[in-house]
Amino acid sequence: MRQLAHGIVDFVVGDDLWIAVAVVALLAGAAALVHLGGDAWWLLPVGVPAALWISLQRARRTVQRARSSA
Amino acid sequence: MTGNLLVFLGAALASAVEMVEALTIVLALGVTRGWRAPLQGAAAALAVLTVLVAVLGPALEAVPIDLLRLVVGSLLLVFGLQWLRKAILRASGLKAVHDEEEAFTKEVAAARAAGRAAGADRYALVISFKSTLLEGLEVAFIVITLGANQGATGIAAAGAFVALAVVVVVGALVRHPLSRVPENTLKFAVGVMLTSFGMFWAGEGVGIDWPGAEAALAALIVLTVIWSLLFTKLLERRPTAVAA
Repeated sequence: MRQLAHGIVDFVVGDDLWIAVAVVALLAGAAALVHLGGDAWWLLPVGVPAALWISLQRARRTVQRARSSA
Repeated sequence: MTGNLLVFLGAALASAVEMVEALTIVLALGVTRGWRAPLQGAAAALAVLTVLVAVLGPALEAVPIDLLRLVVGSLLLVFGLQWLRKAILRASGLKAVHDEEEAFTKEVAAARAAGRAAGADRYALVISFKSTLLEGLEVAFIVITLGANQGATGIAAAGAFVALAVVVVVGALVRHPLSRVPENTLKFAVGVMLTSFGMFWAGEGVGIDWPGAEAALAALIVLTVIWSLLFTKLLERRPTAVAA
């Protein structure tokens, strides 16, 4: 059962947990903005690429570290 | 209409990418161990996937639309970003590109090395079933989520089946891995579509009113293409951008 749960999480979340965390945070932020009566439509088109860029930078640094230790 | 077309295209492209990978394994098993068991394994996996889509797709369509859009949109967004991340890393040289020829060679060597008992070829049957099922699960997930949200599971499933049929026919004709398929470009396109659909639907799920309503989806797709290409270019320029 634990293995199945782990498999499902791995299937959806994939290689970088940061992306899933960022998406949840962005949606929570958008929901809060909507709740407060503000315009929230801009948040995802700005926040989603920013989250991916951070994830790509993390991947780049990992490659960099691997190369320098090789 | 445009939404349904995009759902069809998204499912078809995702199916094409994953089925090319499954085809490589089925072909390797077929040419080394005979065709019967690999084809049976692949057919059984496709039957399981079809049942999964047929049962879960319409069941999801019955869920209240706002809840469905929030949950499924979030999942699509996470899933799409993972596809996009992988495609950008590969395009910029930070991750090795998936090589069908290499995968085929490795699978042929493994199939030759595996022993063979008398009777049915269990090895080929199991490997073919498992590979097709695992590759197909991502397609089933995309078909179910895209289809349910748009109320068009049939259209999404049709897209996946058209792509599957094309891959199978071409594979049967050439009997060689489809290494010339621009797999990473397809993955990039699917990532863009899933990310855009995910942003749009998850946004609606949390109560966002998109400017221009449905037209915002097209704008999100264009924007996502632009920043994804920009990220690829920026990473290509970095000195660490070498094949991993």
